Amino acid sequence: MTLARLVVFCVLITAGLTGLNGEQVHAHPMEGTNAGFVQSVDGPAPGPFLYLGAKHMVTGYDHLLFLLGVIFFLYRLKDVVLYVSLFTLGHSLTLLIGVLSGISVNPYIIDAIIGLSVVYKGFENIRGFERLFRVKPNTRVAVLVFGLFHGLGLATKLQEFMVSENGLVANIISFNVGVEIGQILALVGAVILLGYWRSRPSFASYSFATNTALMIGGFLLAGIQIVGFVLFT
Amino acid sequence: MSANDLPSAPSPFKILVASLLALLTAALLLFGAILPAEYGVDPLGTGRVLGLLALGQAQPIATEDMEYRVDQAELSLYPTEWVEYFYRLEEGSSMVFTWDATGPVTYNFHASPDGAPAGYAESFDAQDLSTGHGTYIAPFSGIHGWYWENVGTEEITITLTTAGFYSSAEEGRARAAGYKDLTDIRGNPVPSIP
Repeated sequence: MTLARLVVFCVLITAGLTGLNGEQVHAHPMEGTNAGFVQSVDGPAPGPFLYLGAKHMVTGYDHLLFLLGVIFFLYRLKDVVLYVSLFTLGHSLTLLIGVLSGISVNPYIIDAIIGLSVVYKGFENIRGFERLFRVKPNTRVAVLVFGLFHGLGLATKLQEFMVSENGLVANIISFNVGVEIGQILALVGAVILLGYWRSRPSFASYSFATNTALMIGGFLLAGIQIVGFVLFT
Repeated sequence: MSANDLPSAPSPFKILVASLLALLTAALLLFGAILPAEYGVDPLGTGRVLGLLALGQAQPIATEDMEYRVDQAELSLYPTEWVEYFYRLEEGSSMVFTWDATGPVTYNFHASPDGAPAGYAESFDAQDLSTGHGTYIAPFSGIHGWYWENVGTEEITITLTTAGFYSSAEEGRARAAGYKDLTDIRGNPVPSIP
């Protein structure tokens, strides 16, 4: 299957399920007091939304695992910046458009796709597409497309809690900027650790195993959401 | 490009085995541990064996040792006059309340934890409404209650009913002779709240 077909397939699935909404049980929800705060907001509140965006990213293992997979074999800082920018472009687009136009996707489906994006990245890193299927997906397009899905997830989660239209644009932008700050914080740590690890012989020995473990994490994230969808929708 | 720097390209067989193992491991963890603990679904029976099912069961009933009580008060206020009505609640104890004022009031609900400096209070709700209904769950042990002030030009009456688990319900207001000294049911002085 070519990447273009894969993209069309994902978009169709997502579009087909738009509007379905299940119980609000997620692997990575916004919790108790934070959710209560967001519900009570009526007007622009840049500080709190900035913080919530950053917190969502730093504590969001689904986004973090995907990013780890993306930068795993990126040796040059230039490439890290390029790929992360593509991811950011993707998720900012769908976050802004999603919230502004009220598009909300079933959270189980979108979180399952995000989990599968982690599997995809791990599989690509162990050269699965190349060696097993003899195809070479365009990694830049892939990171952009999965960025779109991650943004749709962010938009869906934010909309569950935002009640007031008052100050909406300011609050989404604050949330988005917070997401980028959180992403940079997480990436700085990951790039430093990976850089250090790459200089050791163990990197070559365990990179295959690490990316296999990444696939386990992705399958788990996706599995939890798929079962949640079956049980609660 | 992320194409890739593995020392030697892994064989298709190795990739296939690794991928299937990843899927299998994830499935085992999912059905064996996560589903029983998070969703209370136990397809393999491991949740019962490992005692994970209990994690997923929310406990909607909280029982109380304290005596259940219901209090009703009618508080009349001349214009600009204020009154407080407060309760001694222990941390986690709850009460259900409803109040109605016959005219415009400004009010707040505030609480002062045990051991706090005199005059210290946390405010949870402050608005201009003439009615309120709800549940209060004390975030800490101490004195919790309302302040109402008549902001209209007529005498008004506030009717307050509460039910729940608290050990005292007291009215406090400015008197000609100064503040009334309040004590709780054990006879200990109750710190006043400004």
